[in-house]
Amino acid sequence: MRVGLMRVGLMKVGVLKVGVLKMAAGLLVLLLAPAGPASAQAEPPLLADRVAAGELPAMADRLPVDPMIVDLKGQGRALGEYGGTLNMVMGRAKDARQMVVYGYARLVGYDPETMELRPDIARDVIVEDNRSFTFVLREDHRWSDGTPFTAEDFRYFWEDVANNPEISPTGPPIELLVNGEPPLVEILSPNRVRYSWSQPNPDFLPQLAGARPLYLYRPSHHLKRFHAAYADPDRLEKAVEEAQARSWAALHNREDNLYKFDNPDLPTLQPWIVRTAPPATRYTFERNPYYHRIDGRGRQLPYIDAVVFQIASSGLIPAKTGAGEVDLQARYLSFDDYTFLRQGEGRGDYETYLWRTAKGSHLALFPNLNIADAEWREVMRDVRFRRALSLAINRHELNQVIYFGLAVPGNNTILPASPLYKPEYRETWAAYDPARANALLDEMGLTGRDDRGVRLLPDGRPMEIIVETAGESTEETDLLELIHDTWMEVGIKLYTRPSERTVFRNRIFAGQTQMAISFGLENGIPSNESSPSEFAPTAQTQYMWPRWGQYYQTKGQAGAAPDMPEAARLLVMYDDWRRATTASERRAIWERMLEIWTDQVFSIGLVAGVLQPVVVSLNLHNVPVQAIYNWEPGAHFGMHRPDTFFFGAERPRTPDSVLTAAARARQ
Amino acid sequence: MLDYLARRILMMIPTLIAISVITFIIIQLPPGDYLSTMIAEMESQGEAVDPAKIEALRAHYGLDQPMWIQYLQWVTGLLQGDFGYSFEYQLPVSDVVGDRVLLTIVLNFATILFIYLVSFPIGIYSATHQYSVGDYGLTFIGFLGLATPNFLLALILLYFANVWFGTSIGGLMDPSYIDEPWSLAKILSVLEHLWVPVVVIGTAGTAAMIRRLRANLLDELQKQYVVTARAKGLPPFRALMKYPLRMAMNPFISDIGNMLPQVVSGSAVVSMVLSLPTTGPMLIGALQSQDMYLAGSFLMFLALLTVVGMLVSDLALAWLDPRIRLGGGTDR
Repeated sequence: MRVGLMRVGLMKVGVLKVGVLKMAAGLLVLLLAPAGPASAQAEPPLLADRVAAGELPAMADRLPVDPMIVDLKGQGRALGEYGGTLNMVMGRAKDARQMVVYGYARLVGYDPETMELRPDIARDVIVEDNRSFTFVLREDHRWSDGTPFTAEDFRYFWEDVANNPEISPTGPPIELLVNGEPPLVEILSPNRVRYSWSQPNPDFLPQLAGARPLYLYRPSHHLKRFHAAYADPDRLEKAVEEAQARSWAALHNREDNLYKFDNPDLPTLQPWIVRTAPPATRYTFERNPYYHRIDGRGRQLPYIDAVVFQIASSGLIPAKTGAGEVDLQARYLSFDDYTFLRQGEGRGDYETYLWRTAKGSHLALFPNLNIADAEWREVMRDVRFRRALSLAINRHELNQVIYFGLAVPGNNTILPASPLYKPEYRETWAAYDPARANALLDEMGLTGRDDRGVRLLPDGRPMEIIVETAGESTEETDLLELIHDTWMEVGIKLYTRPSERTVFRNRIFAGQTQMAISFGLENGIPSNESSPSEFAPTAQTQYMWPRWGQYYQTKGQAGAAPDMPEAARLLVMYDDWRRATTASERRAIWERMLEIWTDQVFSIGLVAGVLQPVVVSLNLHNVPVQAIYNWEPGAHFGMHRPDTFFFGAERPRTPDSVLTAAARARQ
Repeated sequence: MLDYLARRILMMIPTLIAISVITFIIIQLPPGDYLSTMIAEMESQGEAVDPAKIEALRAHYGLDQPMWIQYLQWVTGLLQGDFGYSFEYQLPVSDVVGDRVLLTIVLNFATILFIYLVSFPIGIYSATHQYSVGDYGLTFIGFLGLATPNFLLALILLYFANVWFGTSIGGLMDPSYIDEPWSLAKILSVLEHLWVPVVVIGTAGTAAMIRRLRANLLDELQKQYVVTARAKGLPPFRALMKYPLRMAMNPFISDIGNMLPQVVSGSAVVSMVLSLPTTGPMLIGALQSQDMYLAGSFLMFLALLTVVGMLVSDLALAWLDPRIRLGGGTDR
């Protein structure tokens, strides 16, 4: 333990600042451990009977020797009481996995205050040069079934899962490869594991902290029963047959769903364990008796005994929430529901918070630079055209008409909350200026017009742009309706075409779509340590350059290399960023990339910072009134640690001025 | 008669084969497969998917094989009573559908009962009091029921049931009873929730049934035997019930063929809106995510029910109406 703490000082990069708190925490446990009576008092009542009956060890024996001590006071939160059931509603049975998202037990996790990574399941992570990562596990940390969680679980994942040709025919997860190079995995001791590469892998830790995390470990004692190298062949064969699986590997994969959370038999490290096997319309999650986090008084988290997900059709969820049937809800609620939810506050004992979202743009337009039509491709790739389209959108109007003026108009780029933010990133080419837009289009030589006033392409076709949507909400079509009017002023006719999401994507990939409307950048609050991959052609799902993204993803087997110099430069810079060793270097690269991104208007942002209603029961404590609601990074509620939420006496209602502060802050 | 029965049953085999082929083709028609739906969904959530892994999964699920092989595998499974494997739920289809069938039957049976109970008296009244104020009034209400979109009515009733009676929104029982063993309180909770979908699904069906009964009965009431019966002094109620009403019942019997599959799968849209734990939403979900074996087996089951229902209704009609049995129905 000492060694781990000392080595922190060696860290070249300030990603993980373990600091004094951690040291104090370790000492505190040492002091607490012999004090038997104190810890006996802290036994959660739900488990007390089982402990008394001898079915379960006492709390002190269930916790790791050095549990993670959460300083609730320091975070301005209250120390809680055990008990209660947290009711939530989800739209599909698959949403059981949201409990892994909300549980947010990760090797390392984000701290919502600073957006920096901190060790969580791992006691310590020693980073050298972003090339070598040593994980120090907590001593005597246990899976939810009481089996020790050790380096063997890491070894099993790497040797018997990731590198087993039958379980993983495509080899280790692509996230673990750096330019195709697999990591060197060393098991240093029963609680020390090292992953290292010859080149830096700055994405590694953020991926471990993801909403859908990269798992480096598996509950090996459970899964070995389904692994041909360990299990008794006859019994394995029988199990495969019973489960109607195609092979033992298929059965293994079916059992091995740490993220999907659909297997009550699979041990977990999350604060709550799934107790219901699908299919069901109600999922119960029960507290994990071996969870590794405790509060300052020595009470084991989570405070709340059980979580229940009721499955209902997603359209009914706002209504159910408004009727007071849930204790905490944000998923499936959108800003449109806000007035209804506020109105229902009288009937259900809850209040509605507004959290900020962190997408670069709530929705953005993506001109397809890989469109199959050569004439249109030429036009789309002309930066003047993209700038003109952006200038011809009245974002103020969109904001007022659809978002009650509560969103932030601007480009699809980083938000003011990001340390890299500069106002010009958001504002350049984003003011409503039809005259300038017209001038740009005239300059391109698109001066011919038909009798409707629609400009003509060089080959005489009218400039009619079909914007495709995934057809899931009317919000997109409403926005396009408004954009249609202002684009018409510059002589471009817009049509809307909703389709099903799969069809929508496949048409974009095939270059049949002229323009798409979809979500903007996922991470609008990056720091220089966050990967700028969204700003370079690195994924097929970047709808402005699907083919270039595919080329990168498949290492050149499919798609095409970027043949626009600016996009190619972004890609080079992205690779530079990955190789950069100092923070200042990374920051400089980020800034250069953002400049190109702003100048080139590859995607046309509309409004950002749309608010997310979060409904919280008046009996539920410790839920922040103002916070960030984001998938990556953040894991929605996860980053705010639902294991510290608790049920207590009814809170007085928060004054309106505090509830709506986030909304008013932007006016 | 036995000969007729045998012929009808033999005819069902090619019908079902044809249906199975068409079902399978239609399910496969939309571009992509279950995996592409899954990827799209994951990516819309901001989750990255490794293309190579998807290819491996495709092979794993057998989705890379030609369509006719997939079809043959599915059909041979069906013949052996194996409905296939649901990708979405990662379970055999029979396990997925299992629990929902009971509640669906309860719901749809209650709905059919509601339709009959409401439409019979109204239909008879409308026919016997043709063009009266009551006839017009009830017809008007019936049409209103037919014209109101089901889902809208469902939402309105749901809201008022919650505000006035405190009924929990959606579902067929209070959330606290889900997964509990059956008890009196649970049954009461189901009854408390059942009336909304029953009324909603019933209103449209009721209007249609009233019109049909009224028209049939009007036809019969003008026939000479009714006039004769009345002239001979038969009490009016008996003169109505004994013959004309029985004749007017034929369409109800021939409806059985449609009703059987409806009892199992009907009212999918309302069930979606009300979030009922019935088979309808499951079928729609399976079709949306291209969970082909779940959807396919489901549709096949419905087809089988329709074909059997048709047979039953034909047999019942022949038994009920001597004209069909003897003359092949030429006098109608």
